Amino acid sequence: MPKAATLSIAWLGLIVFLLALPHGLSFSQQEILVFLTINVLLVASYRLMTLTGEWSLGHVVIMGVGAYASALYAKQLGVFVPVSMLLGAVTAALIALALSYPLFRMKGFYFLIGSFAAGEIIRLLWKRFRDPFGGPKGIKKINPMPDFDIGFYSFDFFEPVSYYYFALVVVGGSLWILWRIERSPVGLTFHAVHWQDKLAQSAGVNVRAYRTLAFVIASGFAGLAGALLAHYIGTINPNSFDVELMVFVLTWAIVGGTATFYGPILGCVVLSILNEVVLRELGFEQMRPLIYGLILICSVLFLPKGLESVVQNYLRRRNGKAMAEKGSAA
Amino acid sequence: MTSHFLEVDNLVMRFGGLTAVDGLSFVVDHGAIHGLIGPNGAGKTTTFNMISGFYRPTSGQVRLRGEAISGLPMHEVARRGVVRTFQHSTLFAELTVLENALVGTHMSFRPNIFAAILGVDMEDRRGAKARAEEALEFFGLLDFENEPAGELSHGHQRALGMAVAMAAHPDVFLLDEPFTGMNPEETKHMMTLMEKLRDSGATILLVEHDMHAIMGLCDQITVMSFGKFLAEGGPEEIRNHPDVIEAYLGGARHVA
Amino acid sequence: MGELLAQTALNALYAASYLSLVAVGLVLIFGVMGVINFAHGELFMLGAYGVVVFYADLQLSFFFAIAIGLVFVGLVGLGMERALFRPLRDNPLGGLVASIGFLMVLQALAAMGFGVRMEHVPPVTQQVISFSDKVHLAVPRLYVIIAAVVLLTALWAFLKKTQFGWALRASAQDPEAAALQGISINQTSRIAMFIGAGLAGVAGALTAPMVSVNPHMGHSVIVAAFIVIIVGGVGSLEGAVVAAVAYSLVHTFVTTFYDGVIADIVGLSLMLVVLIVKPTGLFGTADRA
Repeated sequence: MPKAATLSIAWLGLIVFLLALPHGLSFSQQEILVFLTINVLLVASYRLMTLTGEWSLGHVVIMGVGAYASALYAKQLGVFVPVSMLLGAVTAALIALALSYPLFRMKGFYFLIGSFAAGEIIRLLWKRFRDPFGGPKGIKKINPMPDFDIGFYSFDFFEPVSYYYFALVVVGGSLWILWRIERSPVGLTFHAVHWQDKLAQSAGVNVRAYRTLAFVIASGFAGLAGALLAHYIGTINPNSFDVELMVFVLTWAIVGGTATFYGPILGCVVLSILNEVVLRELGFEQMRPLIYGLILICSVLFLPKGLESVVQNYLRRRNGKAMAEKGSAA
Repeated sequence: MTSHFLEVDNLVMRFGGLTAVDGLSFVVDHGAIHGLIGPNGAGKTTTFNMISGFYRPTSGQVRLRGEAISGLPMHEVARRGVVRTFQHSTLFAELTVLENALVGTHMSFRPNIFAAILGVDMEDRRGAKARAEEALEFFGLLDFENEPAGELSHGHQRALGMAVAMAAHPDVFLLDEPFTGMNPEETKHMMTLMEKLRDSGATILLVEHDMHAIMGLCDQITVMSFGKFLAEGGPEEIRNHPDVIEAYLGGARHVA
Repeated sequence: MGELLAQTALNALYAASYLSLVAVGLVLIFGVMGVINFAHGELFMLGAYGVVVFYADLQLSFFFAIAIGLVFVGLVGLGMERALFRPLRDNPLGGLVASIGFLMVLQALAAMGFGVRMEHVPPVTQQVISFSDKVHLAVPRLYVIIAAVVLLTALWAFLKKTQFGWALRASAQDPEAAALQGISINQTSRIAMFIGAGLAGVAGALTAPMVSVNPHMGHSVIVAAFIVIIVGGVGSLEGAVVAAVAYSLVHTFVTTFYDGVIADIVGLSLMLVVLIVKPTGLFGTADRA
């Protein structure tokens, strides 16, 4: 079979699987599926940021900026919800742009600490200012997505399945854009900035502008993920976007590996399934931070290239085998 | 005042109490291969770093066609047509050989993110690829274009560094010790390529230790010693210049 | 007004004392091993739980509980050095990430062992020193101040006067040269980690009776400590102490005259400004990152 045809069938199979998936699950599992879909966007956007070599500890707070902004636009200003989500994403991107001025004067570990501090400041502002952020209790009764009908399917957003389909389309579209960016000359320049910023500069690359670009795009998509979350759960507060969630994102990215596009997504999906299937079913849900902490430590120590390296080794071995078979046949 | 092509005017660089370059001036003519030499610690690399925008000079100026380029960030210097290579094998080791050269085409085919998402930049991408492959072919690297740059031999890595610069189509190449680590065969081949580059209209300024290569290649040579200008002239002149011999060997022997 | 100022200054002195114990340990670890220990706030928390167990629950002497806290947390530090930081020595970012993982582990263990509720530790003594009608210093707070002065002086003497201290300073300045001098990096790392962790443990233990002990108490401590080490210059012990005093004054005064959240925001903004203007800190020179 030609390679292109195999690939199309694989994609078709994946889409059918993703569409059918919620129907085999319980209500609470469907809810978890929605969160997982949103988290995939969160971690994929995080990877775009890491392409330029900088690891932020403020990414989850930026997601929160998108969530707060979208919730407030819808609730206070009466903006139509899907539009408010887009505006939330734009707000997150603009806040990131503003933060990039101080933050990109730093590099490496200083950037890490700086992004952490910037995130904490934003979280404290939410806590301090009841109007409009609602203080420590946050924002409640956030407008849900309005139901609508597209002929063959009517979206009822009280049902997780409907929201899952909606999120699937939004996240799928976002991933497609992120993928296109990575595979373009812009993505190549991100890599160049990461591996040898001096050499990139000597080729005329404005390194700081590209770092900022990656940060702003990543933040926009993180904000979109936050907006998706806010209008699904209906209530957000400063602790929804705390260090613990940031550690989860780091863990997904590092366990999956950040050298490939699919690595962090793989990490997120595998660990979420592990979490839901193993921990929840066995009644170990309380141990989630403990398990995540241990997994993070173990993957840094023993699997520095992430799960993707396991997949790549497998593919290489299989290809090698196929090659060998071809060779012996010839 | 007539404006020279590339002019170094009274450059000074101080690090703390140490004066690495002290009032250096010289002129590089258009279409020349110009060597900058001097004993270890003479301040050649520091000078180089000031011309390329890596350092901001304490005082003095570097001018290209009369326009001051010193003090600009490196990417701005590059955009004005002055592109440098680095000592050792500074490459994108994780990227393929072709991708390395593609980064070199950045200025001519400036990436546009929206065009990239929509896929309407295919013409630019083809143009960039053609340009990159042209540079790779020039340096004999086309056969390796899909290999990771980090897996090339040392000589090929040096050549790739040049190819990345060439893909940028600069007016001035700044080459930082281009022959280090090359065997005589490779050095000879590289010298021919540099002459070809010059004949196609490029200007080359290089810092180099290999006296043999310098003398055989350069049209004009500037000698530095202890951060200061020492002598200037053609290879023959420099070879027999008493100050240069003195500086290099304490007057004991002939240079090279 | 004068009395309020005096009282606030005393409060700031107390805050500066435990904060400098935490920050100095963090700087010591960074200096010798080149890694930022994100779990340092959790070592502080462990020290506090040591007091909960040995003093509040088992009714042993308070000072005995503190001594146990020092040794136990110091040993945890040794374990971290061996299991996390040594294998990741060539990978400072990896060490930092591993310490974030360890932070989660310690928090989760504390939550499982003690529950997330706040632990109340009975006061060691009700004694209060009164300077005037309105200016007081509770004796437990005085203990913290005294401990900070004694321990930091001892550390200073150790670093300047002993062979170990010399080795430690040498490997903080230039690890490769130190290794060539025959200084064992493993040895200096162990010492730095034991001292750094132990100081955090003592600070947590001493302050336990005055704060609410809970598994997440490390967060605000590590945030404050980060501010202090960045402002003081990462790698400078003296800078950390000076910055701890300065930060505590600012924070305590803003808290007293405005409110606590604003004080946190001011502190973090201060740190961002320092990071922007002079990333090596106001007193620092060392830069290993």
